[in-house]
This record gives sequence, structure tokens and C-alpha cells, in this order.
Amino acid sequence: MQNRPAIVAVGRTKFGEHYGKEPEKLIEEAWLAASNECSIERKDLEACYMSDCFLPITNKLGLEEGFLSELTELHVPMEATRSFSAALMTACHAIQAGVYNTVLVGGIEKMSDRWEKIRDDLMLLDDPWSYYAGGTPDSNHELMMRAYTKKYGITGEALEKFNIALAQISVKNHANAVNNKYAQFQRKISIEQVLNARKAANKPLGLYDFAPISDGSSALILTSGEVAKKLTDQPIYVLGCGLATDYLNYTAREDLTRFVAAELAMNKATETAKVAALDIPLWELYDQSTMMEMITLEDLGLCEPGTAWKCIHESYTTNQASYPIKGKQVYVNTDGGLKANGNPLGATGGAQVFEIFCQLRGEADKRQIDLPNGQKTGGVVECEGFGTKAIVTILGERKQ
Amino acid sequence: MSSEPIERRVSYLGDRLRASRCSCCHKEYFEVRDYCSVCGRKSYGKMDSFDLFYDKGILELCTFIDEPTNKFSKLNSFVHGIVSFHGGKIRVPARITDQLTCNGEKIDLTSLEGREVVPRFRRRYSVNKSDVIPTISLAFTLADEYYPHQEYKVTQPVKDYELPGIVGYSAYTSRFRIKSGSLERAVPFIDEDAVTAAVEAGKLALIHSGLDSAWIGKVYVGSESNPYAVKPIASKVAQVLKLGEEDGDVQSVDAIDTEFACKAGTSMFKDACALVSYPRSNVKYAIVIGSDNSQAAPRGCPGGELDMFVGYGSAAYIFGKKDVIAEVEDWYSCTSDTPDFWRRDGEPYPMHGGRFTGDPAYFKHVRKSASKLMERLNLKPSDINYFVPHQPNANFPVRIAKELGFKEEQYSPSLMINKFGNTYSGASLIGLAAILDIAKPDERILVASYGSGAGSDAYVIRTTSQLLDKRLRQKINVKFLAENPFVEYVDYTTYRHLKTGM
Repeated sequence: MQNRPAIVAVGRTKFGEHYGKEPEKLIEEAWLAASNECSIERKDLEACYMSDCFLPITNKLGLEEGFLSELTELHVPMEATRSFSAALMTACHAIQAGVYNTVLVGGIEKMSDRWEKIRDDLMLLDDPWSYYAGGTPDSNHELMMRAYTKKYGITGEALEKFNIALAQISVKNHANAVNNKYAQFQRKISIEQVLNARKAANKPLGLYDFAPISDGSSALILTSGEVAKKLTDQPIYVLGCGLATDYLNYTAREDLTRFVAAELAMNKATETAKVAALDIPLWELYDQSTMMEMITLEDLGLCEPGTAWKCIHESYTTNQASYPIKGKQVYVNTDGGLKANGNPLGATGGAQVFEIFCQLRGEADKRQIDLPNGQKTGGVVECEGFGTKAIVTILGERKQ
Repeated sequence: MSSEPIERRVSYLGDRLRASRCSCCHKEYFEVRDYCSVCGRKSYGKMDSFDLFYDKGILELCTFIDEPTNKFSKLNSFVHGIVSFHGGKIRVPARITDQLTCNGEKIDLTSLEGREVVPRFRRRYSVNKSDVIPTISLAFTLADEYYPHQEYKVTQPVKDYELPGIVGYSAYTSRFRIKSGSLERAVPFIDEDAVTAAVEAGKLALIHSGLDSAWIGKVYVGSESNPYAVKPIASKVAQVLKLGEEDGDVQSVDAIDTEFACKAGTSMFKDACALVSYPRSNVKYAIVIGSDNSQAAPRGCPGGELDMFVGYGSAAYIFGKKDVIAEVEDWYSCTSDTPDFWRRDGEPYPMHGGRFTGDPAYFKHVRKSASKLMERLNLKPSDINYFVPHQPNANFPVRIAKELGFKEEQYSPSLMINKFGNTYSGASLIGLAAILDIAKPDERILVASYGSGAGSDAYVIRTTSQLLDKRLRQKINVKFLAENPFVEYVDYTTYRHLKTGM
């Protein structure tokens, strides 16, 4: 990637239920946190990119740009997207093109205000035909899981291991969130809890397999390489990003056991970043469900199709925080992932970038992973819908 | 405000599960497409549109929904999955319907996967009382249970008949029953109503007749439980079954709902016969459907006595002058203003006149129409093989049959009241279907319907030899519905819940 943009500061709110806060309060909190970090003033911003998945529905806020303009007292160009990674990618393109030097990228979602209707809204937007056939936000994940176990002939003892591997994803993410003060659930859970929740619901996946509904906001300041040097000693560069799309209706897709969009986005991202997947030790994956975290390991090319669960199961038996993949240690969702950190759609990607940013700068406190020298890179995978749109962003300490 | 434009589009694509096929590479897609993703621009205008309405699929994968989205919450829990058609070329999301599941019950998903399923036409989900009721065919039932797949094969009719008559028919009722003593009554599943039953009966009658749906020129639907006060059932039937030639985005067919309590269907037999006989009408075939999700107030409320008898069911009859299985020889109708049963506008349930519904109402009119017609045709009860009276309860039809001089073997084969309950507009039509299922060629049947308000239509029909040929096409007949081992019995609370609908 030429003229690499750099992230100079990040900020976020705690994820969870913010009953007393309006959406503008949340984004204000995130943007102030980011601007304080690198002493950026409003007047320094040349453009804003904002993401929210369905604020117009949940909070009846149309024309988000106007909302943001009022909030920041800015009249600069603003664009709204549905996911943080998409906003970040658009911002990167503008900086690379030399149009702007300093921009704000922010994400916001406030889902709990529409608690009673949120699952209908999500499903109707994500996959309307499945919704008409009674599908829920959970059902596609479960169908994918059944398609997967069927395709790879996972039965009997192997199926038990498979189920434990999926449970381990959730257990690991919750354990990671304990030291994340921004996380929605700062508590550990056990394998038994995950398995029992499935049993109680009489379903392939249970309560602890799915990310929660959350409120929250995240923001970052993106600048050109030149500007970054003036603002911070430790800019984190966007080495590459890729985006791909797929059918809205999951059932109509060619292959039910992978996300083609994630695979294509990954190819594009690694191509521009000029790194191999396995050379990236740190990943923030989009674990809307435990199944999704597992399948993404395969989509990214880290694991061969049909094998990711084995690596995860190994991390369970050896009690490791990372997944042992092809002789390497791969750390996934060190902030707790969507499962424990929270999933306020439009802001989720910002929190993922936040974590990689902190980890690469060595500012992740008790969560800090000791990354081998020369490998200070991390990747973020964010999806819109059920794999309908996937965006992969690769971040690195060095301007390669 | 409901989003009607969206509802209309989804209904248009979803009621018949429309699909497209690329004529260059034969790749298939769910929904209507203008070009193929493989062949690109060269396939533009070369996509063939077809539908999966009469098709069967395989339930590839499924999962259990125990916490449905709001609009499905009345279903409590159900099985949702992916159905594939044509060896996996097309995959659609699916809701398995006609299954009563309760939370906590262990569902063996593996036992369902890989089984054949049939698309069914049902209500899509719950909406407000003032909204348009959305429908869809993404509801499926297992083909090896209550509703087997029947192939729809169009055959060119060959033989002309002098008299108009029945060329195809079918009865339909749901899988659920409530039982009290010897009386079993059909209960609609929660996503069924008079509209879905009318479409089902029409679909099965088309399959039985072997007629191309485009040859039908008029559709009559008689019902007293249309979920709409204003909006015809017949238009839905015409659209879903594609009755009449497709002309742009409309069907070249006349569709009308009729209402006269329980005789709203039978009354139109003569109109259908007249229409197909009138050379200038350009109508070769007309279909008459009687369909009811018979309404009754809950027990203990005014009018609640009916709750002991009401059922759910429909039947459809296609009339024409080619390949007739039963010719309509003659008819007689009578009418008087007798308020024995009524439902005021805006009231959810009908009221009835108690003892007043017997002698001055049912008996007076049925007696008159049946005896007058026999007299006119100079027929004695012994000249008639089967007598089909309207059957609102178990006693009335037997009493009138005996009074008219019929023996048990002449009237009892038609009595389905003990199996399905009083299906209102469907009642005498289902009785007639039961007879056509078993009759031999050249037998004479006397039908005498009754509609409160009040009136009766009597018909004498005579079977032909083609009755036997067409019978082979029909797996779902009245006996099949009545004695099906997959019928499920429900308790009173479940029955009221199902009856109310989504």
C-alpha cells in the first residue's frame, strides 16, 4: 500500500447497556478520548467517516452526517457507512489519494434502546428470506455448524471434541475480557456453562455461543504518514485492507461452510500489506458466534478447511491462550472478542482496531501479548450481515 | 402503517417460490433474475422463470428455533432449515410447519435432515389486525407424513360431454384434530386460515383434473370466515394458482367471493355449469371452492355452543364439458328469509337461534330442495345411489336422510362431520368428495346443501367412466385425510390457540 495512512490515536467507550446515555454522548466520549490522546483539535479535522449499522431504525436518527456535524461543530465532508472497517477503508483511500491529511473515523451503535424489536430488525436487514421462513439471528450460525459437521463427517467422539472446541472459544474470549475495563462482560465462564446452555435450549448453539446486544462507540484519528510523525512517536500503520461481498441470503450461497467474502477480502488485504496470513500473530476476528470465529480461521487461510476446530481443541487440552496453528501461536480476540467485549455493530470494528493498536504499541496492560520482534502486525476481520460483507484490515507498527 | 409495497413484492415472489434458470448454462436461482452470474451479459433476456409450487425438495439442514423473532412468537418453537430443490441447484430457507413442538422437548434434527418436503402455502407471520395478512410458500411439510407430494401433470382433455359437470375435485383439511367422544374435528394449524385452505383445495383439484391452470376462466370462493371483511379470497387463489392466462402482471380470470353461510360454495355449482355451457362466455372451465375455518365463540360465551361442532376444511370443484367425471343432471334451489344463524358486522363470532335452527330452518329447506328435485326428475330414493346432505352436526343429516327415504348405505358414506367437524361452506362439498372417491361409473348422487339465512341447493349428478381414470392421480382423498396415521390430536387450549391464527 502506497502512502500508508497511520492511526495516531484511538478512543472508545465501555460496551454494554448505556441506558442513560444518548447516542451523541457515546460518540462524544469516544472521540474526545481519541483526540485527547494526540492533542487534536476539531479544526484539525478535514473530514469525518462515521459508521452505524442501523441508528436510523434504533434511534430514529436519519442523516447521521448532520448529527455528527452538530456534535463536532464541524462542516467538513462527512460520510456514513454501516461498519467501522468500511469507514476506515474509505478514510484510508482518501488519505492515500492525498485528498486529506487528518480525518476522524468513528463508530456508534445503540441497540438496547430497541431491545424488544432488535432481533427482528437484525434478521430482516441481514437475511430477509430467512427471516420470512422464521429464521432468527442465531439460526444461520447453527445451520452453518450443521453443514460443517456434516461436510467433514464430524460425528461421535469427534463431534464431542468439536462441541468443546466451540465452547472453548467462548471461554477463552471471556477470560480475555477479564482484564479489559471496556468489556461488556468482565467475567470468566466455564466449558460446562457453555455446554449446559446449549442443552437447556435444546439447540446446537446456546446463549454463551453468541455475542450480545450492546451499546457503545469507538473512534480513531487517521492521518497521512507525514502528519503522523508530528503527532506521535508510535503511529500504527494500515498496511492493507480488503473488502468483498456475498449474497444476502445465506442459503443461496454456493458453499455453506465458509464465508467467501472473508476469504476474498483477506486475499486482497494480504496482497496489499505484503504479509502472509501466518506471519500475523494477532487477530481480532468477528465472533458473532463461536462458530463464526472458528470458520474465519479457515477463511483467512490460517487453517485448512475442516481443521480449525482441532487447533482450538488443542488449545483447550493444553490450556493455552493462543491457538497452535502450523507450529505458530495465533492470538485471537485478546480483548474478549464480540462475545465478551460486546458487539455494538457500527462501533465493533473500532474496538477491534483499538485492541490491535494497544497491543502493537505495548499498551494493553494485563492483556499484553509478548509479540516476537519483527512480527508486530495484527489483523482485524469485520463482517456486515451473516458474511454478506467482509472487511479485513492489517495493521502494523512498521511502515513496511 | 404496514409496508405494503414490500408485502406485495414478497408475496409475488414467495407465494409460489419463483426461481430462474439460465438457458445458456442451466444454472438455477431462487427468485426472478434478469441474468446469470456465470454467463453475465450474454444471458440477459435468456433467463427462464419457473416456480417450485408443485415441486418437492429435500430438507438439507435444520435447526430448532425456541426463541423466535417477534412476528413468529405465536408459533412458540419450530424447526427452521434449508431446503434444496433439483439436486441442490436451488436452496431456500424453510420453516417446517404443521409440527407442534414445545420448549424442552428433544427434537432429533438428524432424523429430519435428508427427508423429502413439500412447499405449502401458509401465512408468513403475525401482523396487526388491521394489516394485510402476509403469505408465503417458505413453509414446508414432510412428504412422508400427512401431505405426500403429488405430481401436477397437465393432460390435454379429449372427450366431449353433452352436459357440463365436474372435471376435477379435491378436499383438504389440516393435520390436527380435537376429539370429544366419537366426534373428531379438524383444527387448522396456526398459520392456516380460510384463504390457505382455499388455495390448498384448488391446488389439489388442479392436480386431480390434470388441467392447465391457465384454462380456468372463473373462480368462485364461498366462505364465511374470510379473515378480511373487504378483500376477496378468490383473488389470492387466482394469483397463487395462476388461474387464467398470465397477461403481464395480471391473470386473465374472473374471481369472486360468495357468501351465503354454508351454501356459499354449492350455490355456485349451477353458475359454473351455466358459464362453461354458454358459448359466448369463453370460459371453458370454472372452479368453485368452499372453504372455512369455521368460527365459534369460546365455550361459555354467547354462541359458544357452536364450539362443540366447528371444524376446518375446504373442497374445490372444477366444472367443464370435457373429460367430465360426473355430469350435473339438474338442480333446484330454494330460499327464505330465516334468521337462524348470523354474525353482525364487526362481531368476531356468529350467533345462532338454538332450536330454531332445526325444523324451521335446516329441515324445511333441505327437505324442500331434495324432494322437489327428485320429484322433478321423477326419481325415487332407490334410484339414487348416494345422498349427500349438509352436515352441521351428527343428527340433522341422518334425520333428514331417513325422512326422505334414504337407507343408511346411501347417506352414511358421505357423513364426514364426525371426522372433520362442521366445515361450514366446505361441509357438503367434502361430503360429496367422499362419495366421488368411492363411487363407481354411472351412479347417481343427490347433494342437498344448506345455508343459514336460509336456503338450500340440491343437485343430481351422475358419474362417468372417467371418474376411475382420474382417481389414480389422487393420493390425498377424503379417506386419506380422515384416517391418516399422522393426524395429531390437541387439547382444548391448543385448539383455541391454533384456531385464532397468527
